[in-house]
This record gives sequence, C-alpha cells and structure tokens, in this order.
Amino acid sequence: MKYKSGLLAGLISLAAVLQAQIINKTPLSERITGYTIRAVLDADAKTVSCTMEAFWVNRSADPVPDIQMHLYMNAFKSSRTTFYRERGGSPGSGELDRGWIDITSFTDGNGNDLLSLMEFISPDDGNTEDRTVFRVILPEPAMPGDTVFIKTGFVTKLPSRIIRTGFSGDFFFVAQWFPKFGVYEPAGMRFAASGGWNCHQFHANSEFYSNHSVYDVEITLPARFITGSGGLLMSETTAGDLKTVIYRAEDIVDFAWTAWPGYSVVNDRWRNVDITLMLPHDRIKQVDRQLTAVKNALGYLDENVGPYPWPHLTFVDPPAIGAGAGGMEYTTFFTSSSSYFVPSFFYLPEMVTVHEFGHAYFMGILASNEFEEPWLDEGVNSYWEQRIMDHFYGKNSGMINHRLFKLSDIAMGRMNYTRFPSRQASSNAEFSWNYPHGTYGIITYSKAATILHTLEGIIGTETMNNVFREYYRKWAFRHPSGRDFINVVSEVVRKEHGLKFGPDMNWFFDQTIYGTGVCDYKISDILNRRITKPEGPADLSDGASASVDTTGPQYTSIARLERVGELKLPVEVLIHFNNGDEIFETWDGKARYRDYEYQGSRKIEWVKIDPEYKNKMDVNLVNNSMTTIPERTPLRRIAGRIASFTLFFLSIMLL
Amino acid sequence: MKIINSLGTGFIRVVKAVKGIIITWFCFYFLVLTFVYPLRKSLDFTFGSSMITERLADGFDFEVFADLGNALPSILSFFSTGFMITFFAGFLLNAFLTAGLFGSVKKDSGRFSAPGFFSAGALNFWPFFLISLLITFGIIFLFIIIVLLPVSITAMAETLPERSIFLVSLVSGIVFLLLIPVILLVADNSRSFKTGHREVPALKSIGKGFSLTSSDFGRSYLMMLILILGQVVPGIAAILFLPAWKPVTGGGVFLLLVVSQLLFFARLFLKTWRYASVTARMDDILLTNTRGMEIQQVNN
Ligand SMILES: [Zn+2]
Repeated sequence: MKYKSGLLAGLISLAAVLQAQIINKTPLSERITGYTIRAVLDADAKTVSCTMEAFWVNRSADPVPDIQMHLYMNAFKSSRTTFYRERGGSPGSGELDRGWIDITSFTDGNGNDLLSLMEFISPDDGNTEDRTVFRVILPEPAMPGDTVFIKTGFVTKLPSRIIRTGFSGDFFFVAQWFPKFGVYEPAGMRFAASGGWNCHQFHANSEFYSNHSVYDVEITLPARFITGSGGLLMSETTAGDLKTVIYRAEDIVDFAWTAWPGYSVVNDRWRNVDITLMLPHDRIKQVDRQLTAVKNALGYLDENVGPYPWPHLTFVDPPAIGAGAGGMEYTTFFTSSSSYFVPSFFYLPEMVTVHEFGHAYFMGILASNEFEEPWLDEGVNSYWEQRIMDHFYGKNSGMINHRLFKLSDIAMGRMNYTRFPSRQASSNAEFSWNYPHGTYGIITYSKAATILHTLEGIIGTETMNNVFREYYRKWAFRHPSGRDFINVVSEVVRKEHGLKFGPDMNWFFDQTIYGTGVCDYKISDILNRRITKPEGPADLSDGASASVDTTGPQYTSIARLERVGELKLPVEVLIHFNNGDEIFETWDGKARYRDYEYQGSRKIEWVKIDPEYKNKMDVNLVNNSMTTIPERTPLRRIAGRIASFTLFFLSIMLL
Repeated sequence: MKIINSLGTGFIRVVKAVKGIIITWFCFYFLVLTFVYPLRKSLDFTFGSSMITERLADGFDFEVFADLGNALPSILSFFSTGFMITFFAGFLLNAFLTAGLFGSVKKDSGRFSAPGFFSAGALNFWPFFLISLLITFGIIFLFIIIVLLPVSITAMAETLPERSIFLVSLVSGIVFLLLIPVILLVADNSRSFKTGHREVPALKSIGKGFSLTSSDFGRSYLMMLILILGQVVPGIAAILFLPAWKPVTGGGVFLLLVVSQLLFFARLFLKTWRYASVTARMDDILLTNTRGMEIQQVNN
C-alpha cells in the first residue's frame, strides 16, 4: 500500500508509540492492533466525542481484502438489535435513553476517505437491524506483514439503562464505546479451516474476543468527575472547569473507563501491583473485604496458574444507581458488586470480585473466544473463583458462613448445574447465543466449573495446577481454543500419570464438555447371606485376611453398584465391614453395574461411592451410600430444631 | 412503687396459675408435634438408608437436601403448608388458652382449677379470637405504614445516598418496636377487661383497652417494657445457645429438646406474668376510679 507522506509519518509514529514500552519492559503480546483515542465527555448530552487512530497488522500469510470492526454501542439503538432480541426488553423510548455510535469520518493511512465503503454486516444472524459490526473493503488488500492504519472520528451516545455500559445521572460507565477490530484468524488458528475475520455481533451473553492491544486514551471531562480505567494514569491536568486525564494500557483486550463525582478512591499494593479501588463513600466500611478478596485472588492465581504481569489493577464497586455496570471484566479493570449493607457471613461481594478479577487470566491473558467457546472463559474462571472462595473463606463456607447455615461456592456451582431442569438441553459446544431454554449461564458457568472440579478429583489437585501452569506458559497472550486446552490437559496428565487415564483425556471431555449426559452412580443394595455350608475358601485377595475367621458363622457379602447416568467416569468405592475392616475398590465405571462380593465371617455394614466427594458431576449424592444401620440422629436433631423454632415463632407472633 | 406492686401481685397470681401454663405448653407442644413428627418421618423415608445425612452432623448442609431431587419440592411444600396450618391452628388455640390464662390470673380466681381454666377458655374464646385478630391486623397495618412504606419509598428514590435506606429502616424499626408495648398493653387490657366483664362485647373491650392504656400511660408503658424485655431473655438464650449445640447422640438430641422446651416454658411463664401484671394493674386502676367515683358521690 502507498501512503500520503504527512499522514503516513504521523501514523507510523503512532505505531511506534504504541509499540513502545512504558508499563512493562518487554511487550507481553504480539500487539496486532493498537489504539490512540482522544475523547471528550459531554456530561449533559451523555455523549463521548472522539477521534481515534488505530492500526491492524496482517500477521497471516493471506492477502486480506477488508477490515472488520465492532460498533457495540449500536446494540442499544433499538429493541430490534440482536442484543435486545436475545435478552428481551428495550433500551427505552426517550431520546436520552438509547445508545449508539456514529462514525463521522473514516480514512485510511493514505488519507483515503473510506466512509462510503463502510458496510454493516450481521455475520451471526443476518439481522439487518443490527449495526454492531461493519466491514470496509480496503482500496488494496493488506498483504502479509502490512499494517493497516485508520483514522476515525465518532460520537458515542451512552444508554440510560446500564447493561454493563451506560449512564445514570452523573454516573458514567463507558465500555464497548469505540470501533474495535475483530480478530483475523489465519487457517489453523483455533483449528480454523481457512483464514477470515472473526468478528461477532454484540450478543446478550458475550462480549470478548480481541487481540491484545496497546491503548493511549486521553479523556477530557468536567473537573468534578473522578475517573478510573484499565490503563495506567500518565497525567491529569485541569484547565478551568475541565480536566484531561491520559491513560496508557498495554497488552489488554479491551479498554473501558468510568467517571462519577461520588467515588472514594482507595489505594493498596500487592507485591509490585498497585491496586486502586473506587467505591461510593457509603461503602467505605467494605474496603478491607474488597481488597482482601482481590489480593487473595492475585496470590492464588499467581501461585497456581501464572504471574499477573501488569503493575496496576483498578476495580470499581459501582453505586446502586450504576449497579448494571457491576460484575464486569476488562482485564486490568473490573467491576464488583455490593450494597450499603452486606452481612459479614455473606461473601457475595468477595465472590464477584474474585470472579471478575479472575477474568484477567481467563479471557484477558488467555484470550479465548467468548462468543464461540464461552465455557473456556466463564467456566474455567468460575472453577477458579470457586476454588479461591472455598480456599480462603472455608471449605464448606466459601459463599455463606453463618453458624446456622453454611454454603460452599463449589457446592453452589454444582447445585446450580445438577438441579437445573434443562441441564441436558445443551452441551458446552455451542456459540454463546445458541443455548436453548435459558441454559447459557448454567451450562457455561456452573456445569463447566463442575466438570473441571470433577477432572481435578480424577487427576489430582497438583496435576490440575500443573495443567493450568502449562496452559498459561503455552497460551498466555494468545488465543487458545477449547481443543488447545484439552491437548494441554492430555499432555500434562500423560507426563505425570503415564497411561493411567489412557493416551489422552478426550474420553473425559467428549462426554462432559461436548456431551449432554449426566453422571449418576448408585449403591442399589447390600446383601449379607449366611452360608449354611462352607462354599470354599474365603476371598483373601482383599488384603484384609487377618480378619477372616472361619470358626463362626460365614457370610457371602455383596455390594451392588449401578451406573444410572450416561457418563462413564472412574468410581472409587469404600466398603466397611462390621468388624471394622475397610476395603477400597476402584471401578472404571463403564458397565451398567458392578457387584463386589466377599466371603467370610464379617458382614458389610456400609458402602460409599466416592467417599471423598471428588466427583462433583454425580447429580445425586444421596444414592452414593448405603448402610445397614441407618443413623437417624441428624434428622431427629433437625426435626427438633424445626419444632423449637415453630414454638418460639408461635409464642412471638401470637399475642 | 405502683409498678413493683403490680409486678409483685402479678407474680403471685402467675405462680398460682402455673398448672395453666403447663396445660398451655402441652397443647402447643402437641400441636407442633402433629406438624413436625410426620415431617421427620417423611425425611427418614426419603433419605432411606443413605449415609449422606452424616454431612448434617456439622449443621445444615443445603447440598444434602438439594440432592433429594424430585422429593425436595414435596418436602418443602409439606414444610411450608404444615407450618402455615400450624400457625393458624396456633392462632385459634391461643385464643382459647389465653382466655383460660386470663381467667386464672384475675383477682378473684382463687386456687387454680383445670375446669375453671377450660371453662374460661370456652367462654371467652370468640371475644379473645376477635380481639387477637383485630390487634394482629392493627400490628400488620402499623408495620406497613411505619416500616414498609418509608423503606420502600427510600429504596425507590435513586438520588438519595445508599446509607439512607439503612437509616430509614433503623429509625422506622425502632419506632415500630417502641410502639409494640403500647399495642400489647391495649391487647392485654382489652382481654383482661373482657375477662372481668363478661357482659361487655369484644369491640367495646378493645375500646376499654385503649382507655385503660391511656390512663397512667407512663407507668403502664414502663411496666410493659420491663415485662417484654424479660420475655426476650429466653428468646435470646434460645437464639444464642441452641444453634451452636450440635448433639451427635440420641441422648444429646433428647437433652437439647428438654432444654429448648424449658426455655419455651420460661417464655410462656413470663408471658403469663405479663397478663397477670396487666390484670393486677387494671384492677388497681379500676379500684381507684371506683373509689374516686364513691368519694365524688359522697361529696355530692
Ligand atoms: Zn465471568
């Protein structure tokens, strides 16, 4: 491509600035894209007027004829956009309610006006009312190694009903607000058959798939506002009633920012990471809870997955008026969710903080495609969130820790999946907008996390950690697919366990992630039959021969196990005899049933499948054990408590 | 001094009526048993010979119940409908038993007699039911206008700071709690008056309850506050100690039951003391009024 010299020089210097190192010593990513944005917030009109210079480098071997970009703010333009069709409702009828983004100018590196070449496309659903993706046919194809520069002016109007992004009074959360490149995937990348742009429309359930980029963002706004973003604050200058803040972010996949005069800002540090927490003055009492939670997550993921590579991290606990912006992730910037009063036994704010921070790894560093494989982002991240919560807040109390009622985060995730009526309606192999019967959240978050806990139960926690360390080492700042992750699992498991689980772990993922079957093993019966005439020598193969006494009455004892569900997973069985002997058996879990038979003077007292509760996918834990001497005390105690509660309730309520 | 006199007289009367309290305790216990025992049996049946119940040894584990699958909704509906039916049955039973208790603690009741207790209960059942019903609705109405409305309005106002919902709830909650002794005074005075004046209709008794409450209000309120605070003690003891106590043996569970019943009995005793003290105070007020009227008549 040929470039007009003046503009070209400017844009090349843009590329140089964006490739420079300001935050980290060396680039963390390939930096295929980069953005320099100048933005002015009009706090009354609720608009952000911008100029943007950006580039995309063709790192593929293909000549690429076009560029494709997101215009996600257009999802809030009407109730007919794909976003609103999927989620229902509308952005509101007033002029100030709707959100949109208007491109006012668009030129390439040569100064060619490309505005007339812009065309809206709807690659996912053909919805012509959806204007969240556009394509520009380049005057000349971008050849391998070429850099495509663009310069654009645009106005972004924020929506009044905050769904991740928008405004409420003077509160602004500005996300999905600028034209952003899709990802050009050459053949072979994420197992793509041929090269092409991967640029999805804005959907109700997913937002992220982008190249790691450098952002230089300058924001001018009324001086009363306090701002925060995913970048490092480079400068802040005030002129009259206005102030200008300049942020720089490196190697992140999206840039969002917030402005609100009501923020209190608290700073803290974890190792070399400067942490900034922004929250309403009213919630200042929760600062310790929030900071402890984020430092717990930083430490745990650093130890078990890989380093958090940025020296800065900002998170926001949005006020009630901006609650719709809560629980979102922008790598070095995320939002938690809380309220003025949260009881100390209820760890919801901590859980949201841990989860959203976790996305810095699963989506931010390991930039999978959330649209196409949401489980690799939300499911993997939920798995780590649940591990972190139960690790730091109690094995049985990672979610609620009240003396009357405890709930672990892992158990909550498991129940969300196992108790969901449509748990078998879909596998995890769907694009985010294709999950039927409201299964997106359950299948993507809860089921996928439960699958990973079950995998951890099979291969062991240390191997699981090593899987993620290797996944990080191999795929950090790249775009792994689900199959890439599974290949890492197979590799690490083979390295650490040999062929114990077969040549690869596909058998596990094909059934769980890519399948819809449920797992349910049960004990169907315990039999202890008196042997009237000895039928031969007792079974001495179980290593408990010392207890076999042939002088007293002899029994044939049988534990009957059945596979009720479709999933075939390894099963551990603990069999306890009346003389105190215990035998640990393992079953490959493949057949429909399995009987364990013993002969001798002892009788089976009880049998437990999965005695350590490692298989979280088993949808019914009640049938996993059976005893010949049921212990009723816990139920009697519960009944007693209900009786006392009812009596006291009556005596309080009745005059 | 008048407060201590009323409380003292009330205490003597409630000790005399302790058998009535035992009858009341037994009736309520039996009522609750008819709800809880079948519930326990259905839990036993649902869990069968599973050992998952051992996970309940350390407290309530929701996962254990969640895994009951289709059996869970039926157990939950058993629980909720059973609880509701018990509450309504308790409301009726309470009208009968409090009528008996008020009858047993009135001035001229003499020694406690079970037939006297039951006949007072039967005689005043409908008026007591009506008084309880109206005053309960009154409490609900007050709760709506004093607590629910202001809190909801604050919650809807987006411009107010988040703290304001908390502050409004706190202030309206305190105001509501401070009104409770007044409402109970009205309820107790009405019932006490009705017990002593069989010929007066229930609604008129409520009117009399209000006027008795307003006469010498300060002292009546203080007395009621003391009695209510006393009643709260066993409740707090139950909330603090019982949940932390997790017996693992059958004997331990039985002991837990005995202790919780003792606490409940203590509450009933203190509640009856409230009835007796209010009755004693009312007797006092009515006596003074009568004397005043007599003196007036003499002067005339
Ligand atoms: Zn998430």
